[in-house]
Amino acid sequence: MKQRFSPSWIALTLALWLGSGSVLAHITPPVVLLSEQEAVRGMTGGATKFFVREVRLTAEERGTIRQQWGWPAEEELYRFYLGRDATGQLVAAVIFLTEFTIHGPVRVAVGLNPDGTVKDAKVVELTEETLPWLEVLLKQNLVQDYIGRDSRGNFALGERFAAAHIDSMPQFYGQIVTSLIQRAAILFEVAVLKRTGKV
Amino acid sequence: MYGIFLASLPLSARVCCTLFLVGIGLGALAASMQAATAVGLSYGDVVASFAPEMPLTHIGHGQMSAERPIELSQLRHTTQSWIRTPLLIQTSHTHLFGQTLIAGLLGLLFLFSALGERKKAVIVALPFIGTMLDIGGMWLTRFVWSPCAVLVLLGGSLFALGYLLIAGIALYELWFQREVHP
Repeated sequence: MKQRFSPSWIALTLALWLGSGSVLAHITPPVVLLSEQEAVRGMTGGATKFFVREVRLTAEERGTIRQQWGWPAEEELYRFYLGRDATGQLVAAVIFLTEFTIHGPVRVAVGLNPDGTVKDAKVVELTEETLPWLEVLLKQNLVQDYIGRDSRGNFALGERFAAAHIDSMPQFYGQIVTSLIQRAAILFEVAVLKRTGKV
Repeated sequence: MYGIFLASLPLSARVCCTLFLVGIGLGALAASMQAATAVGLSYGDVVASFAPEMPLTHIGHGQMSAERPIELSQLRHTTQSWIRTPLLIQTSHTHLFGQTLIAGLLGLLFLFSALGERKKAVIVALPFIGTMLDIGGMWLTRFVWSPCAVLVLLGGSLFALGYLLIAGIALYELWFQREVHP
């Protein structure tokens, strides 16, 4: 009978599998709390049409952001998902922003009202290592405190968390999430509202 | 090498070499499983993790904004590992040290194989070249050209092929080879 799998082929297959693994090892496993699709759908209730708008900041806009908010805004492009109703009016814009920390990335979806205030925010992706730290805050509805605020609002971690004597790592990651929410509001204001007045 | 061969090592040395090879193999298996669940092992997964994100609109250079209709079904609904520059630096330095050290120890052990010098030189080089190709591939994918992701897979495969050859030949010589023909 003809041999279907020679030892050399088995060795090569094993090598490819092992090889890919050895290359990509030590990357912190991601935990997805919500898919992008679910996040956009959830934050644009009432929208019937969807658009993607990509914006590139001018040097002047970057300078303004750095000067006013102390954030360098270094990404090449920022992407908003816009949900509009049947008449074409904006229902909400959603942006995904990520902070890359030493313990892995934290990705947040932020929904914005047409006036630039925060409509909703969700942590959509983090890592197995950071999940327990942020879970403490998410269970206490961290993002609720920032709904309705615009880019000039206070995005520091709420006093209720300071009073609760939360450990340093949850505090650190909580601050990252609230900063990302503020950055979303900043970007919408600077790269959308200030350019066109309305969306 | 220098008249010392794997087949002629005392029992304690053979046990030590064997357990080292088995340990490295188990480590590679665990790393593979971790990578498969965290990142994925395909070419597409590597590109998605390392390459810069491509625009969804036709925004051109110098253009400040672009918009187009989109279906929600086009949005991502699966997990994706994001490896950006800071994490790439971190990954590079740990992997370059770690894998080179492993390659060095494997090579050191394999120097005492009875295999011919040319074959031995080729095999011993595989894990080193593999390491450099895969880490280099990550940087090239990120900063030069996305299809360089193939180098990441190729490099990793070379590393693993080198390990399999070294482990296979060394274990055979340690436990089954009776006579040495250098």
